[in-house]
Amino acid sequence: MPVWLREHSWRQSPTAVYLSLPLRGARATPANIFCGEQYLKVSIPPFLFEAVLYAPIDDTNSTAKIGNGNIFFTLYKKEPALWDSLTLANADKEKLQYLRENAVLKAQEKAKEETEAKKITKQEHKKYALEATMKLEEAERKRIEALKEKERQKVAEELELWKNQQKDGDKYKSIQKKEELPQEIQPLKERKNEKMNKTLIPNEGSSKTRLKSTRGCIIELYFVILLSSKPEKSLASFFISSALTLFIGHGSCSIFAQKLKEEQLPAPRAPATIKVNFTPRVFPTALRESRVAEEEEWLHKQAEARRIINSDLSELEDLKEEEKNPDWLKDKGNKMFAMGDYLGAVNAYNLAVRLNNKLPLLYLNRAACHLKLRNLHKAIEDSSKALELLTPPVPDNENARVKAHVRRGTAFCQLELYTEGEALDYEAALKIDPRNKIIEKDAEKIRHLIQGTMQSS
Amino acid sequence: MSAVLGAERPQVVSHVQQALSYTVFDCKWVPRSARLLCLGSAARGTGVLQLYELNGARLQLLREIEKPKPIKCGTFGATSLQQRYLATGDFDGNLNIWNLEAPEIPVYSVKGHKEIINSIDGVGGLGIGEGAPEIVTGSRDGTVKVWDPRQNDIPVANMESVQGESKRDCWTVAFGNAYNLEERVVCAGYDNGDIKLFDLKTMSLRWETNIKNGVCSVEFDRKDINMNKLVATSLEGKFHVFDMRTQHPTKGFAYVSEKAQKSTIWQVRHLPQNRDIFMTSGGSGSLHLWKYEYPAQRSKKDSEGCEMGVAGSLSLLQNVTLSTQPISSLDWSPDKTGLCVCGAYDQTVRVLIVTKLNKI
Repeated sequence: MPVWLREHSWRQSPTAVYLSLPLRGARATPANIFCGEQYLKVSIPPFLFEAVLYAPIDDTNSTAKIGNGNIFFTLYKKEPALWDSLTLANADKEKLQYLRENAVLKAQEKAKEETEAKKITKQEHKKYALEATMKLEEAERKRIEALKEKERQKVAEELELWKNQQKDGDKYKSIQKKEELPQEIQPLKERKNEKMNKTLIPNEGSSKTRLKSTRGCIIELYFVILLSSKPEKSLASFFISSALTLFIGHGSCSIFAQKLKEEQLPAPRAPATIKVNFTPRVFPTALRESRVAEEEEWLHKQAEARRIINSDLSELEDLKEEEKNPDWLKDKGNKMFAMGDYLGAVNAYNLAVRLNNKLPLLYLNRAACHLKLRNLHKAIEDSSKALELLTPPVPDNENARVKAHVRRGTAFCQLELYTEGEALDYEAALKIDPRNKIIEKDAEKIRHLIQGTMQSS
Repeated sequence: MSAVLGAERPQVVSHVQQALSYTVFDCKWVPRSARLLCLGSAARGTGVLQLYELNGARLQLLREIEKPKPIKCGTFGATSLQQRYLATGDFDGNLNIWNLEAPEIPVYSVKGHKEIINSIDGVGGLGIGEGAPEIVTGSRDGTVKVWDPRQNDIPVANMESVQGESKRDCWTVAFGNAYNLEERVVCAGYDNGDIKLFDLKTMSLRWETNIKNGVCSVEFDRKDINMNKLVATSLEGKFHVFDMRTQHPTKGFAYVSEKAQKSTIWQVRHLPQNRDIFMTSGGSGSLHLWKYEYPAQRSKKDSEGCEMGVAGSLSLLQNVTLSTQPISSLDWSPDKTGLCVCGAYDQTVRVLIVTKLNKI
């Protein structure tokens, strides 16, 4: 149950209402105050103050001042009129409830509107900032462009100048090629007058043409330099005089110089071939630095795989696909054993073992072959190897183990090492498979033999 | 890398851009003129030769010549200045020399290779260097052949792989060391990263190395001097600058390498007026201008007392991106410092001016 705060005091002016609410020691924050158009609530648990106002107020402009254990409200009336009382006195419950809810709703709407408005202003500010930066950048760019343009224009002008010089040089060359000797003098003279703004000694012209009749690029070049130089009088005269002397000086020998030059070119070389070797490489593709790591890895893996095969690759190259399969070889060996070809069977088993030395059956069968061939020691070896591979002793390899033991035992017996044969193997065989009558019988026989020898010796 | 002051850096200014209706593979300035030549392949599979003249802010087409096979590369290097014949290699392996005034019939023609001629270079002409004019061509059939225009049909030198061994495509060739009548050297770069230096005087292999990535372009800084520097560019954005003055018996030539861009570096061209400045063009359509600085001592003695070279350092002067497609060909004008033309695979040819090069 909230504690109602009722000790409020208020006074009014035509436009505003001033309400003072003592807080009885409670601390107030703006969150505790809720103000709608016609509804005012202060809730500081457990205290509660609620007022349905007499008339609507302007809640956006109204203020509340918190301090001194007191909240001081300044509420601006919507309609300037004097209120009879602060609250609606004779309002019934429903109306009050309605007003309350309305107020709450209105407040929510207002809050929403406010956030919207804030958002909009924020966006506008952002836009403005963006535009400002854009303008700045644009200005910067324009400045750089302007600099570049200036540079470009300068350079273009220089280029034009140079190009014109080139053109003139070319024009002269083409003129020389096309026209006859006497005709050449005229355009040349005109040109000279244009550029140099000087009158020339007629002798010069003739001597020049005479020289020009000799072919020599040297002369043409001098001409180009001559005519493209800036039209400064003194400079030009210097050029002409120096060029002339050069011309006259070289004139006689230029013809010969040209011929000499042609003779000086060495004869074409004698044809020869140089053989080259390219960097050796495992892969057919060309070497690329970024792929070196991948390639190394691949080669490494290949080497590993080859090692696992555990044999000399060169020998196996002659075999067919099936002959490289140990199982197939085992079957072959079995067939040969059945047919009585014990040596062939041994060969087959040998090859199979080279390909895969972890199959106990191969050794087992080879042991049988050796027994038949009376290679007793080899039989023992193979059965031993088979037994080794048949660890751990589980019911699955019972059969195989029995066989191994039996074969080894037989070998021992045939070597007349009865004690080992009997003790080790037949006992073991019996242990594995106590129900096997044949083994029992054999074991008995051997025991008798042992006893017999012991007795005799 | 030393930094160059912002205001003093050379600027690459794009002067003219010309859209073409064919793929341009090579562009060359015609020596002693403001004219340039574009070589390429039209969409219908024929070769195109276009002669343009620089006229104000645009290129004016003077001549268009069509040939039966697409043309891959060309050079003016082996002709005299009066004649200015163009030697071209085409997609079919034919080497032709054309007189541009009368281009119907070639002055010299030979079916030099079985496959496309990837690169061509000429020496002994244009008043540069001494000795016989010769042309070298490198082809996808793995051979490098040197031709003399005075001798028909048979190359004067042929560098091919040993019989029976696999061959690698030759992507680029360059002449060098032509400082007197006898000396001459050919450098060839292959697609597996091999660089081989052949000495034509002794007809032998002088040096070889492998830079681990296909070699797109090799160039000596000058053809007509004692070999000084060799730049070799490759795939995956790397290029190497070899100091060719000192050859160590086992280690070869000293080099400095730079990884400039993520993409292939298609071409390198040295400035004709300054042999320590060169421009590389890349697969991402960018151009980089580099300067090589020599070390304090160009050679030193190693532990056994043999001379070995010391490589210098490189600094990037400027870089600019002009296109989205690779710039496959680049040529400096020998007459005007800083004027260059580049052709890109976006079917445009651009004339550029690089400023402030005389201040470097």
